[in-house]
Parts: sequence; C-alpha cells; structure tokens
Amino acid sequence: MNASRRAVLALIATATAFGGRAFAQALEVTESTVKAAFLYKFAGYIDWPDVALEPAGGAFVIGVMGNDEVLAELGRIQPGRSVAGRALAVRKVRDLDSLAGVQMLFVGRPESARLPVVVRAAQRQGILVVSETERGLEAGSVINFVVLDNRVGFDVSLDSAERSGHRVSSRMLAVARRVVPKAG
Amino acid sequence: MLIANIGGSVRRKVMLLVLITTVSALLLSATGLVVYDLRAYERQWTNDLNTQAEVLARASAPALSFGDSKAAANDLRVMRVRPRVLAAALYTSAGQRFATYTQDGVPTVSFPEAPEADGARIEGDQLVIFRRVVENGEVLGTVYLRALYQPWDRLRDYLTILGVVMIASLAIAAFFSGWLQTAITAPILEVSRVAREVITQDDYSLRARKISDDEIGELVDSFNAMLAEAGRRADALREADRRKDEFLATLAHELRNPLAPLRNALEILRLAGTNAAMSEKARQMMERQLNQMVRLVDDLLDVSRITTGKLGLRKAVIELQAAVRDAIETVRPFLEARHQVLSVDLPVDPLPVDGDRTRLAQVFANLIHNAAKYSAAEAPIAFSLAREGDEAVVRVRDRGIGLDAASLTSIFDMFVQVDKSLERAQSGLGVGLTLAKRLVSLHGGSIEARSEGTGKGSEFVVRLPLAERPADGDAESPRHDGRGARGRRVLIADDNADFANSLGSLIAGSGHDVRVAYDGAEALAAASRFRPDIAFLDIGMPRVHGYEVARQMRELPGLSSCVLVAVTGWGQEDDRRRAQDAGFDRHLVKPVDPKEIETILGSG
Repeated sequence: MNASRRAVLALIATATAFGGRAFAQALEVTESTVKAAFLYKFAGYIDWPDVALEPAGGAFVIGVMGNDEVLAELGRIQPGRSVAGRALAVRKVRDLDSLAGVQMLFVGRPESARLPVVVRAAQRQGILVVSETERGLEAGSVINFVVLDNRVGFDVSLDSAERSGHRVSSRMLAVARRVVPKAG
Repeated sequence: MLIANIGGSVRRKVMLLVLITTVSALLLSATGLVVYDLRAYERQWTNDLNTQAEVLARASAPALSFGDSKAAANDLRVMRVRPRVLAAALYTSAGQRFATYTQDGVPTVSFPEAPEADGARIEGDQLVIFRRVVENGEVLGTVYLRALYQPWDRLRDYLTILGVVMIASLAIAAFFSGWLQTAITAPILEVSRVAREVITQDDYSLRARKISDDEIGELVDSFNAMLAEAGRRADALREADRRKDEFLATLAHELRNPLAPLRNALEILRLAGTNAAMSEKARQMMERQLNQMVRLVDDLLDVSRITTGKLGLRKAVIELQAAVRDAIETVRPFLEARHQVLSVDLPVDPLPVDGDRTRLAQVFANLIHNAAKYSAAEAPIAFSLAREGDEAVVRVRDRGIGLDAASLTSIFDMFVQVDKSLERAQSGLGVGLTLAKRLVSLHGGSIEARSEGTGKGSEFVVRLPLAERPADGDAESPRHDGRGARGRRVLIADDNADFANSLGSLIAGSGHDVRVAYDGAEALAAASRFRPDIAFLDIGMPRVHGYEVARQMRELPGLSSCVLVAVTGWGQEDDRRRAQDAGFDRHLVKPVDPKEIETILGSG
C-alpha cells in the first residue's frame, strides 16, 4: 500500500466509523480499519434468523478467518459496542469446528479457496458470511468487499442472504455497489 | 365621552358610533389573527423543515455510514420537490462537508464550513436548520437545510383580505346606522320638536307621538307626563295668581267700605252738637264700622301667619264648651243685627280638648259667621256639639245658599268665596275657612263641608280629638260676667297722649282707679308710688322703653303679682315672645278691643 492510498482510506474511515473521538488514531487507518468498521455496521442493517441468535443473552460474535489485521481492528472497535441488544465480541476462527456461537463470519483473502465449504457450513447455522475476493458472491458469501479507485465498497447477494435466512435492509442496499437479486 | 364631544346631530353621532365600533372590532380581531397566524406559520414551517431534516437524516444514514457521497448527493436531491428549500448539505461526524444540494435557479450558496448544534434559526428571509444524523446510537453526521421564510408575503395577503372585509363592513355598518337613525333618532327628534313647539307656543296640551315601545318610548311617555304636569302647574299658578288679584281688589274694597260711613258719622257728630240721640246713633255706627275694619286687619294678620307658617297655638286642656260660648259671644251682635236665631245644642258632660281656646273659638265663630252671612235674614242656624267615640264633633247647619259639589273642597282654599255677587260689606276677605281648616288641623282634627247643592243649605263638620285628662283649672278662663272685680288700681303708660287718655277715661268710666303716664320713666315713678294691680304699657316709649319698664317693675316691692299688659302695634309671634320674656303677662295689639280690656280687668 502506498502513501496516497493510505491517506484516502484514513479520511473515509474517520468520516464513517469513529467520528471525532477516533481522530487521533486516524493516521493509522488502513483498508483493514475500514473493513472492520463496515463489518460492525453491516450488523445494524441486517435481520438475523432466530437460530443465529441462540442461545439468548449471549454476545454478538463476529468471527474472523484468515485476516489478522481486520481481527485486530475489530478488537479495537469492540469495547462498549453492541449489536441487536447484545455486546459485541470478536473471535478468531481457525476451522469450521469453532463456528458455534458466531453470528457473522469474515473470510479473509488467504482463506478464499475454502470459501464454498465455509459458506455451506455457515448457512446451516444461520451465520452471515462476508468475503473479500473477486468472485466471493459467486462462492456463496452474502457480502463481498470491493476496492475500487482507492475506496472500499461492497456487493450484496440477496440470493445468498435468503439461503442463510438473513434479510438485508434496503437502506444498506442503496449504498451497495452491486446487488445480486434473489434467484427466481 | 368622545362621542359627546363630536359636533353635529344625533344622527351623525350614531353613524360615527357604529363605524368606530366596526372598525375597531375589525382591526383588533385582524391584529390578533395575524399575530397568531405569523407565530403559527413560523412554528409550522420550522416543524415542517425539521421533519424534512429528519427524513433526510434517516435516508442518508447508510450513505454516511459507508462513506458513499454519491448516494448522499442523491438523497439530498429529493429536496427538488420542495422549491422553498434553497439548499441542503450533509456533514460527516468529523465536521467535513460530505454532500451538497442547491435548488435550481438559486445563485451560488455558501455552505457553512462546519455544522452547528441541532436547532432552527431565522436569518433574514430564510430559515436555517441543523440536525444530527443518528443511527443505532451512533452520531453519523449532520443535515443542513436552508429554506425560504417569508411571513411578509403572508402578511400582505392578510392585509389585502382585511382591507376588502373592512370596506364591506363599513358599507354594512353605514346601512345599519341609517336604519338605527329611524329606529332611535326619529323618536328623539320627535320629542325635541314637540319640546320646541311647547316653548314657542306656550301650549302644554301638545304631546309627542310614541313610535317605539323601548326605552325611548318610555322617554316619550315620561316627557308627555311631564308636559301634563307642567300644564297643570301652570294652570294652578294662573289660578292662584287670579285669586290673589281678586283678593287685593276685595281687600281695597273692604278697607274702603267702612270709611264712608265713618266720615258720615263724623259729619253727623259735628252737626248734631248737643243732640244726644243723634250723637249716640253716630257713635254706634262708628263702632260698628271700626269693628269691621279691625276684623279685616286681624284677618290680614292671620293670612300672613298662614302663608309664613307661623300660625302658632298656645295649648292647654280646655273644656270645649267654653270655646263655644266664647264664639257665640263674639258673633251674637252680628246675628242680632240680621235677626237670625241660633239654636245651640251642647252636651252636659265637659268635653276636654288639648287646644288653644281663643283659636278654637275663632274657628267656631267663623263657621257661625259664615252660616249667618250666607243665609237670608231671620233664617235659623243650628249649632251642635257632641261626643262621638273619642272625638268631639261640632256641626254648624244653615238653610242658606248652599254649595255645589265642586266647591265642597275648594271652599277651604285661600281667597275663595262662594258668591262674589254678595254684598261686599258682608263678604269679608275669603280667608275665614282657610284659617279654620288650618287651625283645626293644627289641633289634629278635620273639617268638612257638606251640602246637597246650591240653595239647599250647608253643613260644616269639625272633628277634634278628645284629651285624655280633664280640663286644667278654670283660672285662665275669661269670665263674661263683665263687671266681676271692681275698684282696681290701673296704670296706663303711652307716649300717645290721646290713646293713653282715652283708654284711661274708658277704664275709669268702669269704676277703676287710674293713673296715666306719658313715658317710661314717668311710668316707673308712678308704679313705685301707686302700686297698680294692672299696668297697660306701650313698648315704644321715650326715655325707657316698655320692656325695660316691665323688667324694673317686676323688681319693685309689692308689684310681683301686678298684671303687666303690653300694648303695641306689633302683633307678630316674635313680639309676643319678647314681651313674655320681659315679664309681661298679656300682649294686646292696637287697636285694642275694649272687650279684651274688660276681660283683663275682670280676671286680673
């Protein structure tokens, strides 16, 4: 990542995720920072299936596979924040056995090859999958990050969302770069 | 007050009143309405814009969340449907301008560099609103809106409408004031027209026409009633005036009447010389005429007392029979001259009355005198006194000329006489019955005239309340046995030598011992030497006046029981009181009636 790209990302990140409060940290903002912030915000625009929210009273867990930078950024956002009335928690996911209790799963670029497998496992448990690879939606993820002109954007697949039992707010769809409609 | 100061007719005032009322009511209500509406307009427009801002905030929250300024600009462009919104902008939570929107045709707008706190404010003719964008508890940014705020357009509309309404109202008000003019001012104008006519024509029989049944109708009624009353009073005044004129003519006539016989008698006396029979005849004639004149003057005095309200009584409980006897004594010569027979019916039991014996006698004498005067010669007259319940009732009946129904009450009015054609020598002044009625009412009684008509005689009935205790002692009662006490010592003092001497001769002729003095000092000297039983003292004497003589005489030894009689030309109540204060027992007014002197000599 060169210097100019970092600066733009920093600007956007400041504007969206942290407000004035996070301004002191602005210089350290990277693509990962923005993605971590978006991940947290996606949660606010999505209706979760009941099965995903069991057991009641637990934390809202964002699992991260294969991207430690995003994992770290999420760790910094997490304190004091909540989703759907639950405290926000972040967990590193290494294999599909440790998916229990996770509501949203971010699959990093290094794990893209495993994406179709992960998606199949996640859909069963009502877990929303977010990816960052070129053909992420085709591999079954609901949201896929796209970086274009030095800006972080995202595509949404309503088809995949239906499969995993999620409903994405139309307001979020309004700012999505590309939306894949439901099949049929 | 304001209205009253405006010149012009009632009609103009009514018109002004209506117009002023209308205009003020309209202006006041319009002002209230405009103020209310401007406030409501501001509130409503602010609320409206706040709602817009809220909607924008919600719509643009995702764009802010995910940093999509293009989407944000799209969100703002929704404002195109609100032409009054001039400009809009979105700021990030860090305060940077994120997206803007400007209404088509609006010149370049300078957006604020940084957002401000939530709120609305008015800048000139624009309304500015800031509103934070909050989602899931996160402040995402701020919405900025700038819109036209033009209450003056609205105000101009209002004023136009108000102008139109006001002109219409004035037209209606002018119409109604014209109507009021007929309903209200027409009756008033009618009253004022009649009032003017009454004054210019002096005709109280005019009446205003009653047009309405409201307060103004009442005013017309009252006005007409006042006219009637004023007419009655004017008539009464004219009547009183006429009677007074008649009275004056009568008075002059009456006073002049005795003068011719008196002059004739004087001539007879001069011619008669020593012819005793002729002299006696002339003397009797003079006495009669003089008595007549004295009676007239007494009447006049009583008239003045009645009109000044000074007709006083000296009350004591008396036997009414005594007053009756006094009265009969007084009128007997008149009855004898006319050969009329008076039958008298008195109860045996004494009837005590709290009253003035002299005045009551005057009342009865008046009634008998009237009965005699208005009856033919030799006609019978009946007098009766009786007890009826707790009242003493006196009836005087005659078979004379009688009274018509109208005269039964008016006969008691001052200067009224029944028959003006009667021989003047007998008619008097027309105050006898007025006086009688007044005296009776002063005694708490009543007097009433009855007659079956002209020519059928008349009856006068006097009712007096009886006293609860018997009559006081008989000490004050004058005796009419005349020569009761002979040989008294009598002092006479008067600076009028003729009067003093003639009175002295008169009294000496009755067998009394008389001394005469011609001034106050002489009188005092004579009094201390002579020690009179009775003293007749003039008041206006040289050197020492009568009041002083009386005072000093009272202090002389042996004179405390002396009867002091004031003899003056002044008979007013004040003079009597003053004489009493000085120590006088009696008060006689010149010319003195010899009978009174006899009475005093008899009783003293």
